[in-house]
Amino acid sequence: MHRKLFYLFNFLVLGLFVAAGVVDNHREWKGYQKQYKRMEISRLEGELASADAEQKPSLELALKTAKAMPIRLRQAMSPDLNRYDRCVSCHLGIDPETNPAQVNAYAEHPFKAGDIPEHKAHPANKFACTSCHQGQGLATTMEDAHGLVKHWEEPLLRDPYIQGSCVRCHGNFEEIRGTEQAKRGKALFAKIGCIGCHSMKGSGGEVSVDLGDIADKPASRIDWSNTGPLPPHQRNILNWIEMHLTKDTIELIPGDPHGHSCAHLAECEPVAPSGMPPFYEELSYEDAQALTTYMLGMTDKKLPKEFKVPASAKPEPRYADSIEHGKAVFTKFGRAGCHGEGGASGRRNFNALGEGQDKTRIHEVSEMAKGREPTLTKVVGTYSRDELRKKLHDGVAPSSIVKFNPDGPTPPLFMPSWKTKIKGQEMEALLDYLFSIAEKSGEEW
Amino acid sequence: MANPVKRKDFLWMGWGAFAAFLGGAGAATTRFFVPNILYEPSQKFNAGKAEDFPIGVSTLWFKQQRVWIVRSAQGIYALWARCTHLGCTPNWFISEMRFKCPCHGSNYNPAGDVLAGPAPKPLWRCRVEITATGDLVIDKAILENRAGVREKAPFFAEYA
Amino acid sequence: MALPEISLDKIEKEVTNSQIWKSMFRNWPWQDTARHRARHIVDNVWLHLHPAKIQPRALRWTFTWGLGGISFLLFLILTISGVLLMFYYRPTVELAYQDMKDLEFAVSFGIFLRNMHRWCAHAMVTVVMLHMIRVFLTGSYKKPREFNWAVGVILLKLTLFLSFTGYLLPWDQLAIWAVTVGTNMAGATPVLGNEGPFANLLGMTISNDVRFVLLGGTTVGANTLLRFYVMHCVAVPLITGALIILHFWRIRKDTFSAAPLAKNEEKADVWPNLVVREYIAAAAVTAFIFFLSVYANAPLEEIANPNVTPNPSKAPWYFVGLQELLVYFDPWIAGVLLPGIIIGGLCAIPYLDTSKKGIGYYTWSERPFANAQFMFGIAFWFILITIGYFFRGPNYFWYWPWESWLVHKPVSAPTWSFSLPVGVTLLAAYGALGMTLPRLIKSEICWRKASGAFLGLFALVGLWMKFGGDISTWRVVTVGVLLYLTFLFGFLYPQRYIRDLDLPRYTITQALVLMQMGVLVKMGLRLGLDVKYILELPQFNLNI
Repeated sequence: MHRKLFYLFNFLVLGLFVAAGVVDNHREWKGYQKQYKRMEISRLEGELASADAEQKPSLELALKTAKAMPIRLRQAMSPDLNRYDRCVSCHLGIDPETNPAQVNAYAEHPFKAGDIPEHKAHPANKFACTSCHQGQGLATTMEDAHGLVKHWEEPLLRDPYIQGSCVRCHGNFEEIRGTEQAKRGKALFAKIGCIGCHSMKGSGGEVSVDLGDIADKPASRIDWSNTGPLPPHQRNILNWIEMHLTKDTIELIPGDPHGHSCAHLAECEPVAPSGMPPFYEELSYEDAQALTTYMLGMTDKKLPKEFKVPASAKPEPRYADSIEHGKAVFTKFGRAGCHGEGGASGRRNFNALGEGQDKTRIHEVSEMAKGREPTLTKVVGTYSRDELRKKLHDGVAPSSIVKFNPDGPTPPLFMPSWKTKIKGQEMEALLDYLFSIAEKSGEEW
Repeated sequence: MANPVKRKDFLWMGWGAFAAFLGGAGAATTRFFVPNILYEPSQKFNAGKAEDFPIGVSTLWFKQQRVWIVRSAQGIYALWARCTHLGCTPNWFISEMRFKCPCHGSNYNPAGDVLAGPAPKPLWRCRVEITATGDLVIDKAILENRAGVREKAPFFAEYA
Repeated sequence: MALPEISLDKIEKEVTNSQIWKSMFRNWPWQDTARHRARHIVDNVWLHLHPAKIQPRALRWTFTWGLGGISFLLFLILTISGVLLMFYYRPTVELAYQDMKDLEFAVSFGIFLRNMHRWCAHAMVTVVMLHMIRVFLTGSYKKPREFNWAVGVILLKLTLFLSFTGYLLPWDQLAIWAVTVGTNMAGATPVLGNEGPFANLLGMTISNDVRFVLLGGTTVGANTLLRFYVMHCVAVPLITGALIILHFWRIRKDTFSAAPLAKNEEKADVWPNLVVREYIAAAAVTAFIFFLSVYANAPLEEIANPNVTPNPSKAPWYFVGLQELLVYFDPWIAGVLLPGIIIGGLCAIPYLDTSKKGIGYYTWSERPFANAQFMFGIAFWFILITIGYFFRGPNYFWYWPWESWLVHKPVSAPTWSFSLPVGVTLLAAYGALGMTLPRLIKSEICWRKASGAFLGLFALVGLWMKFGGDISTWRVVTVGVLLYLTFLFGFLYPQRYIRDLDLPRYTITQALVLMQMGVLVKMGLRLGLDVKYILELPQFNLNI
């Protein structure tokens, strides 16, 4: 009996050790490298066969080099940016060592290397790969390197999101090529008035979070309970931001409108769901992607000075008249975020008293969700100039907003007091603009 | 020869000296392990003169240091502006006399207690000290949020 | 010309008769005689830890299960794999995580070695605990082996500490927060910790208490990583090695095995009988470890981020039982006092249990009290670990293992504490009655009747709780079960079995029993009745 066990376990130990060696030796990247080598050799042999005498020597040299190509790990390093990226172990077409031209005619992944001017402008030995493309540079298997795995929060950025990386270094990204979607995102940001609620690095609205470093937000500080069937490896900030623009935020962050979660405590208050208006109703998917792209550039991570490109100074804007100036003020402070573009339709404000709400269904979330901010075009006309100035000066506190369901939560959106932010000429220009969009003037009331 | 040392005494003294050395070595080793200087960045800052803070919640240091300074008739305390749910930064709403977190709607009263929302614990208070020159020094590295403990020194500085 | 005949036998004869060979191997050639078998053991530096002959009962697998030897084997594998890993790992916050990734992706056999190191570490903690249980159940700690048992308890503590310091080295989120949770308990040490009771006695603050010295700073940071690295790779292995040597030495000196020798039984040869079994056990364990190392990857989460605390943050599995106790007790009790009493209590066992019964064999009937109390403690320990590991989710709320942690749980009910006079009375009553009653009642109590009476009485109390106090059924049942267990192990068992011990031994044993059951009572009060503290003395930061 013991003899049998002796044999069994000795051979098991040996066998498993051999298995360890086999598993260790059998690496994904080796397969890709061997295939690339074969492809290069056959390509060069083909060219050699149809070449004339002049071209033969250089082709023969190239063929010799290709045949001697070693199968080993390769990496692009940028010590300044602390990046050590092994992408080139599979993506040999763009490895400067294996393929100095960094361009080839292959069509399939991972061998292809198209002519990409950004690659020329950002050489691998200075930037490595992941500083723009993200992903997990230290990894050597496809899944891990592309970063769609648990415990890695910077997945590979595909088009258009990769343009967010341009925004991180280039203060002047709107002037360089290849950043169209990021530009579109920035324009949308101003157009729909995000800054009305979201400050950017300290300046802007205080209703919601500061977006100045939103790309750095770690996944464990996000509540993923209501994101639907999102697998764990997709829980990253990119998807979180995009979902705010492609889904109804009331579903994403439902709050606790009936005060269930603390029902057995003496003091319990209902909590409104997210106050963010349902932009998915008015934005196309490309718009959402563009905005997300722009947001991915918002980071606080420190970059070495030599990598930052400052924005060029913009000239002082000149306005044709006070109304145009006022419109610019309206946009600058993101008033569209609450009152709609051109003040034409007030956005959703949960549990505020609005129009078309069915009082018999006062407890239903869908009815409370019909609450609205005031539509400026309709409302401005009821104010005199001084009254309107005072209103803007004082703001409207959340507690003074009339609730639709008195037992329901306080509406999340409110008008902040603008007295410190809009003063003097800007205030007067804004008033001129507001009165210009009013549907009814004071007299008609 | 003058009185020779007895064998017993000699051994006691000799080994005693060695024991003393061992004890000293032990104490010295223990002292060796206590760092005298740290590379941790200091979380202390001088918030200015205590008398300059009005009664109520001050957002003077909110942006730079992420603290609110609250003054009552009895004294001063400092709240760390970090929501105890998932770490977002709440905002102070003077009209509603409460802090509200924009991420998932947690509400806190000026003492830091949770009034609504998913926050599991009250806001943290930082260590505060009023120096002899009347400066309010706040240390964000030392925090407390238990009721009963946070209302006393060093998390509450009495100041009439 | 014909080639000279190559005869392997001839070559062998030449080699083994040479001066070099004879100087190395003194018992050559091997002959299977009693003398050679004995000399094979006694003359070999590695094997002479064994005696030449051993009781046949000690050879059985089911006697020791080879657990002690397997512990040592795992220690050796850990040392070898650890030293190899040291060639590619740098203990700085900038590089540690990167080096872990390199081991996984870029170093040949890197992932195999790392896996092996981690699985061996977990295995060693488990095996060492199982070894302790085996030694207890076979009474192999009794005279003359008491001191070796204490050395073993210290080795257990060192094994846990080795595992704990090693846990930090990958420098990922799992590492930094598990160690933060574990070391925060050090800050709750009475007198020496800045958050423990009587902290102001010596002026302990966050920058000079015992936790500060352990971490080398106020938080788990670069200094901690370096200290833990040096402790893990050098200091503690050296101390552990020295104690292992002592442990083995005492085993040898105390006749190697406690297994009894029957009257007319002959001792068996260690070579080959015992050595063969040891080898097979070692090979089997190695094969198992290899299998795990090839097919199961050790975890590596995101890089350590001191600004982001995962929810929940859990200590390593072998400490998660203590972390579960934090739900019921303040940190100084759950993290310092109770572990200290457990270690002390374990060391004291051989000096408390001096009965000559059950040495060298498994028996329940001959030592019911010892087995019952010890196995209860062990079961309790592993149940706490199971709860802490599988049943606790975000905010440390109760989550069934199949429940998703994304589901929100309602806020828990508020807790209450006894007033000072009531609390003091309850504690005093528990202590006084618990210590004296078993000894005062001299007659034999029928357990069935006593249990019946107790449960009957509790049924009445339970009905009053449910209908008078409007307490849910499961809470009543929880309190009932835990109080009954306390009655059984804290009163009935001691009353029958140890009331006749000499006073010092009785006192210490019963005190330990009462403390063990006290933990259970407190858990029942908390789970069933939302009691936070029995005794509250906030001025001293002392709450029970």
